Amino acid sequence: MNTSPEIILDCQKLTKTVVTGSGKSGAKPLTILQPIDLQVKSGESVAIIGASGSGKTTLLSILAGLDLPSSGEIYLKQKPMHTFDEEQRSKVRADHVGFIFQSFLLISSLTALENVMLPAELANDDNAKEQALEMLAKVGLGDRVDHFPSQLSGGEQQRVAIARAFVSKPDILFADEPTGNLDSKTGEYISSLLFDLNQQQGTTLVLVTHDQKLALRCQRQLTMDSGRFIEQQIMAEVS
Amino acid sequence: MPMWIKQSLRLFRHELKRGELTIICFAIILAVATVFSLSGFSQQIKSALVNESNSFIASDRVLQSSRPANESILIKAQEQNLQSVQMLLFSSMAFAQDEMQLVNVKAVEQGYPLRGELLIESDNGPVALSAPSKGSIWVDKSLLTKLSVEIGDSVELGAANLKIAGVINKEPDASFSVFTQGPRVFLNFADIEQTKVVQPGSRLTYRYLFAGEKADVDSFDDWLTPQVEENQRWYDIKSQQSPLASALKRAESFLSLASMLGILLAAVAVSVASKRYGQRHQPMVTVFKAMGANKNYIRNLYLLHWSSLSAFSIIIGLCVGFIMQYYALQYMASYLPTSTQASYWYPLTVAITTGLLCACAFAYAPLKELVATPVLSVIRGFNGFTSIARWQSVVPAISAVFVLLLLFSKNIILSLVLLLSTAVIVAVLVLFGRVLISLGRKIGSGAGQSLHLAIANLKRRAKQNNVQLVSFTIAIMLLLLMLVVRTDLIDEWQAQLPENTPNQFLVNINQSQVPKVEEFLQANELSASQLFPIIRGRLTAINDEKLLKKASKEQDDNSDNGRQGLGRELNMTWQQELPAENVVIEGQWFSETDNTPAVSIESKLAERLNVAVGDELSFQIGSEKIRIPVTSIREVNWRSMQPNFYMIFSAGVLADFPVTYIASMHVPSVNKQDFQQFLSSYPTISVIDVEAMISQLRTVIEQVSIAIEFILLLVVIAGSLVLVAQVQASMEERERELAILRTLGAKGSLLRNSTLLEFVVLGAISGLLASVAMEVAVFFIQLNVFEMATSFHGFYWFVGISVGALFVGSVGFMSCWRLLKLSSLTLIRRTL
Repeated sequence: MNTSPEIILDCQKLTKTVVTGSGKSGAKPLTILQPIDLQVKSGESVAIIGASGSGKTTLLSILAGLDLPSSGEIYLKQKPMHTFDEEQRSKVRADHVGFIFQSFLLISSLTALENVMLPAELANDDNAKEQALEMLAKVGLGDRVDHFPSQLSGGEQQRVAIARAFVSKPDILFADEPTGNLDSKTGEYISSLLFDLNQQQGTTLVLVTHDQKLALRCQRQLTMDSGRFIEQQIMAEVS
Repeated sequence: MPMWIKQSLRLFRHELKRGELTIICFAIILAVATVFSLSGFSQQIKSALVNESNSFIASDRVLQSSRPANESILIKAQEQNLQSVQMLLFSSMAFAQDEMQLVNVKAVEQGYPLRGELLIESDNGPVALSAPSKGSIWVDKSLLTKLSVEIGDSVELGAANLKIAGVINKEPDASFSVFTQGPRVFLNFADIEQTKVVQPGSRLTYRYLFAGEKADVDSFDDWLTPQVEENQRWYDIKSQQSPLASALKRAESFLSLASMLGILLAAVAVSVASKRYGQRHQPMVTVFKAMGANKNYIRNLYLLHWSSLSAFSIIIGLCVGFIMQYYALQYMASYLPTSTQASYWYPLTVAITTGLLCACAFAYAPLKELVATPVLSVIRGFNGFTSIARWQSVVPAISAVFVLLLLFSKNIILSLVLLLSTAVIVAVLVLFGRVLISLGRKIGSGAGQSLHLAIANLKRRAKQNNVQLVSFTIAIMLLLLMLVVRTDLIDEWQAQLPENTPNQFLVNINQSQVPKVEEFLQANELSASQLFPIIRGRLTAINDEKLLKKASKEQDDNSDNGRQGLGRELNMTWQQELPAENVVIEGQWFSETDNTPAVSIESKLAERLNVAVGDELSFQIGSEKIRIPVTSIREVNWRSMQPNFYMIFSAGVLADFPVTYIASMHVPSVNKQDFQQFLSSYPTISVIDVEAMISQLRTVIEQVSIAIEFILLLVVIAGSLVLVAQVQASMEERERELAILRTLGAKGSLLRNSTLLEFVVLGAISGLLASVAMEVAVFFIQLNVFEMATSFHGFYWFVGISVGALFVGSVGFMSCWRLLKLSSLTLIRRTL
């Protein structure tokens, strides 16, 4: 494990294998991630790009503590996530992690404000409401706080999701295709918002995207193919 | 305040306002309201019916005895807070100047009757009174004619000289036996001694009437029943073999059955809705989990959410139930006796228990599954994830339904039967559903595009459709069942009491009066039964076995209907033709050509005496003895208002014995005066007026019919809710499919038609299956619960199939309409 405080996320020889099929054809193991090493520095922005099925979403799930690797080690804020159970990983997510999803995943029965308050409340923040209002104002939705998700456009919903992701000032933010469901103009606006807030708060950003333009705004781009980083492979061949 | 409480209540408030909890709330509200109003309402109706009917025995329970009952019984009754009065019944000759007449005396104590009213004529119309004052009597009007006396005159009864103080208008526990001897005389109990009729060997009947709160009466019943001696009879209105008791028993059975089916449907609705509740909240749970909420947090949050939802629904359900019961009782106020007070404690307890039971048992599996939703679904989506074993969702639900049925019916066998038959129906339905949908697939491949797509959809969603099919079918079946049973029951009751139901019986018509009676009936165009010859005789032996003991019981001459015992003389007749409402179930009816003496015996008596076709019965008629073989056993409809007989002889056997005749007839009120006039010319003919009983019977039927309509309405609402909830549950999945089809360029009209057809086909199949299941269920219910003739209901098959297709089709289509109207882009955005 890299103990440098600069490294917020440290993965070593991370793999993921799932068992597919059953019945007459028999169970077959399918390797989704080949052994992967990855270090992300605090404040860094990293884009993971790759074709569909290359394993980028699976990697993101493991990095964010939503899933466990089949083998290898992963440390998030020096915490050995690969040894943690669901409850312990929940605690880490509540304390350090923010999310932005492709399909926004706002709670339809809560207003924009209440959606944004959610992570702050889960982190027992007394000023959840004030902070949520401030974040909504920052994403330009100060006048739509009482609207329900169904009353907002796709772009507006993603802005609420961004506000929700940043409100608890996470150390690291994971974004899964944040502009994937939006038209190009709205997508550009959303990505600017994302990077502006990221810069303002000094948050570490790990995003998965197909969008080359969005990826290029990150400090580092990692391309995945068949469950491994292509750059890593090249680097290994060179060395 | 912990954050989960805040968030849970916030979520609940918003969801409630936005109508997202409507179906589940409505399902619980309906279950609670149904149980509240049904248990309250049917309780009221039952007690009103029983109260009303108890006036027929002037009390809640009667102990009848040929000897004075043990004093301890009356003391115990007093201890149990029961009211009691005693009466003595006997026949005696009444004398006035030169006239005499055999009369039926009823000596009563003050306090009689405990239920119903004894009405005595006065200048201001009939007044309700208790017992005549000492030294006076009240008499039937016919006695005045027969003895040529008037009110105020004196009559000798035994050794007493008593003054006629009034004329009886209505006697609550009047005997309906058409064979009762002589007009009624009411005597004060204290005057018995003065008459000196109580002598060793006198034929006397002691009756002790008891009434009080149901619980007290029941506990007294438990205490007394084991002590009842052989010469005693302990009965209530329902143990009487009267037409009223029969109507009452059926009404009670129907109310219980209908209520239980209503509860079953409401439970199905809660079950369907709670499953959907769980599925709908899965995305929220994953978001909470992704944000770092742990399992405990989510469990607490949703437990509170579900509890708030249940508490809210139970309270609203109680209010709705209260209002429903209030208005139902208001509506029926004119049919209910004024003494009936609405009791709310029992329905309240049952309804709250139902609500809590439904809320806990049906929510167990969905909530457990909800809390266990994997956080990874936030990225991977929700692909029909199940975390719990099937039994975990089935066992609590089935146990809850069983407890509910038991709670309501208090009958473990009935509850088990209902539960097991539902389980069998479900199993058969699942099987049939698969076969039918699979067959449909083959037919569908040759059909038009919309139908093909609709059937392909049905086939693809076979598993979910099977669940839908089962709930649709159960809902439609229960609706049909209620409809059919209600119609059959009411029809049969009405058939039993048609417009011209006999309301008068003429007895003691002698041979010479027969042509006059027939002439009068013809002249006035009155509908009447045939005239039956009557001979009184005693059954003394079966084959060579003498019936000494049975034949010596003497107390039954004053019984209510004269059918319960053999220890008395029987009224027997002879007929060449089998009377109406009689069916030969064993042996052969008398042949026209064969003049061999023979007798036909009623089936229940034959069973009781263990008599079979071929046995020989010995009778004592007057001083003559005859021995005759049994050639047939008949089933008799005792509910028919016509003279019925245990023994019918072949013509000629009794020809040499002196006979009187009996007939029943309907005398409309316009002919009443002529009828009275005719009778006054033949004072020896006795008349028994059963008009009061018929009108009472009509009231009971009317009450029950209204109660049935009310329950039917509740069952329809519950059934509809199941259908709506089930269609709603499949909407999210359809949303995704519609999006895909739209994207692939399917035309709006194709999607509309295929959606409509899919639901119509599903509804029609459910309707068909429901009709089959209904027919089977009705067959068993008619046979075993209502003991009535079974019948086939072709028309309701048509109703079932068309209602199924129309209702499921339209609800499904309306629910989908919202989706079909959305633009392709919106649909795709919403679902992908």
